[in-house]
Amino acid sequence: MSASHPASSNGSEPVGAAFILKKAFLSALVALGLFSLMIGVRTEAGQSGQLEYWTRFGDLASLVAAVFVGSIIVELLRLWLGPRGGLGSFVPPSVQSGLSIAGRYLAPALLIFTFLVPVIFYNQRYILDLGILVLTYVMLGWGLNVVVGLAGLLDLGYVAFYAVGAYSYGLLSTTFGLSFWICLPLAGILAAFWGVLLGFPVLRLRGDYLAIVTLAFGEIIRLVLINWQDVTGGPNGVSGIPRPTLFGIPLTPGEGGLAAMLGIPFSPTHRIVFLFYLILALALLTNWVTIRLRRLPIGRAWEALREDEVACRALGINITTTKLTAFATGAMFGGFAGAFFATRQGFISPESFTFQESALVLAIVVLGGMGSQLGVALAALAMIGGFELFRSLEVYRMLVFGLAMVLIMIWRPRGIVGHRAPTVFLEKSKSISSDLVKEGHG
Amino acid sequence: MSASLLAIRNLRASYGKIEALKGVDLEIKSGEIVALIGANGAGKSTLMMSIFGRPRASSGHIVYDGHDITQVPTHQIARLKIAQSPEGRRIFPRMSVAENLQMGADAGDTTEAERAGTLERVFALFPRLKERIDQRGGTLSGGEQQMLAIGRALMSRPRLLLLDEPSLGLAPLIARQIFDAIRTLNRQDGLTVLIVEQNANHALKLAHRGYVLVNGLVTLSGTGAELLQRPEIRAAYLEGGRH
Repeated sequence: MSASHPASSNGSEPVGAAFILKKAFLSALVALGLFSLMIGVRTEAGQSGQLEYWTRFGDLASLVAAVFVGSIIVELLRLWLGPRGGLGSFVPPSVQSGLSIAGRYLAPALLIFTFLVPVIFYNQRYILDLGILVLTYVMLGWGLNVVVGLAGLLDLGYVAFYAVGAYSYGLLSTTFGLSFWICLPLAGILAAFWGVLLGFPVLRLRGDYLAIVTLAFGEIIRLVLINWQDVTGGPNGVSGIPRPTLFGIPLTPGEGGLAAMLGIPFSPTHRIVFLFYLILALALLTNWVTIRLRRLPIGRAWEALREDEVACRALGINITTTKLTAFATGAMFGGFAGAFFATRQGFISPESFTFQESALVLAIVVLGGMGSQLGVALAALAMIGGFELFRSLEVYRMLVFGLAMVLIMIWRPRGIVGHRAPTVFLEKSKSISSDLVKEGHG
Repeated sequence: MSASLLAIRNLRASYGKIEALKGVDLEIKSGEIVALIGANGAGKSTLMMSIFGRPRASSGHIVYDGHDITQVPTHQIARLKIAQSPEGRRIFPRMSVAENLQMGADAGDTTEAERAGTLERVFALFPRLKERIDQRGGTLSGGEQQMLAIGRALMSRPRLLLLDEPSLGLAPLIARQIFDAIRTLNRQDGLTVLIVEQNANHALKLAHRGYVLVNGLVTLSGTGAELLQRPEIRAAYLEGGRH
């Protein structure tokens, strides 16, 4: 919480009306400079293409006034809320300990609720669809978490593996008639293969440099999908992708369908419920594998790699294989999610695999708290669910969304769940609060 | 103190065009503590790192226990029972003390029983680590972090321990504790140690033998006591500024 301290308004410097007014005036001046051209002058192309412009000084004045008043309000709030600032200091210790107890039961409660969603909302198709969407992003988040959260390799092209998985299933099933359950592992293997392929050239890169290369990699995959028309169908995508079957039993109204076999009337909801549990199972598989791996030497090596590469080398860790397995594992889960996406949609095209998807998944991981499984799930719920929640607000949706992200990053700079549970113990388990460690120390 | 455990012959290594080591010869016998002293930029850390192949020697040989390891990949060198506590400690800040120690054991081929035994030994040497076992590495004090770095290196049950500036940035009292622990390890466990230090006085008192490195070349070598008596050593490293 220490990072959010307003440095100027507390401590030795007295905060008076003059100071607040001066600050507000300066803010207003900056706003005037910024908005005078953006808001003050409106330009448009006229009927014959000539430049038309007119001034909007009224709008400009009200905006600058709003900044002026807003700045005063912010300063007054800081004054009233005391010098310590931050959310943590308002909450009394008793409530905080209560929250931590609630936090312990949050994950199991959330899991049980998720299992019951299709039962509770059986007749609400919209909620089921939304649930499937959220779970898809939970799975993608958990997959990317291996690469970004554990191994500390900033990957901006994760959507590439999602696309590889989706196209693997789409093409294998439409061309060779392979079933979903055969294609699912194949999609994972192919995505992992591409993960290794991306991994090799970027072995020596870290941080910003790695981010740029992975970003380019994601775009390359998308451009190949658009331009390799003979195989991928180009911008038209792949359509008529078979729906998944319950181990060979189709979920159709016909003779051999599941409903007929069970002797119950057919309902299209059956398939939605099936898809819901399918993605839930896939997501839980991702989670389980990640948790298991974290307790094995390879998982520990990933985390150590995130902390200090030189120390890893000195301890005899093979950096090459460690990085490549991280890329491959993350990519594999992306591939599974991609195959699921293809079977759910029945249609895929390069449009579904833009950079925006990569950014969204990365935002989920960072917002959730890098490396935290529960945090990623909560962030996916908040981001995808929140997106839907504000759908009625149309144009303001992105605004609210951006604001919410800024606020979360100010109050919880390590993400929603900043704790990191250790995996090696002498006696009993204890997790260390993020508040004990300085910001920026991992 | 008989057979040579590590022998470095005419070693050259460079960073790009800058040659940091210009033909170094150095020998460490089994059971010895050898100190490597020298000014900033003399190539002390480079020499230590080049034993691990980073930077890779451009010419010359590094022979460990009768095997030429000059071209062995870095991660395999650690498996030959050579451990390193790198300069600046480099512990894993977000991982707990227990996890940091486990990282040291992961690379070596140690059994569970051996691991538990080594852990007990590390705790006996540095009781502070046991007290802080579930704490994050980043929350430890500088001295505790140095103890952790050495403890982590010991977890692979090395025969040869390379220590790069273990007293760097530590209070004199804490530095003394670290040096005492190194002496104990050498006497009781028979561990062979190569220690790189700027604190020449401490290092030479601790070491059986010492080497002085100047601009990538060994200019002096001898027993610790001998070197401590040499006027040029006293002038350059011990009473600097007063002469």
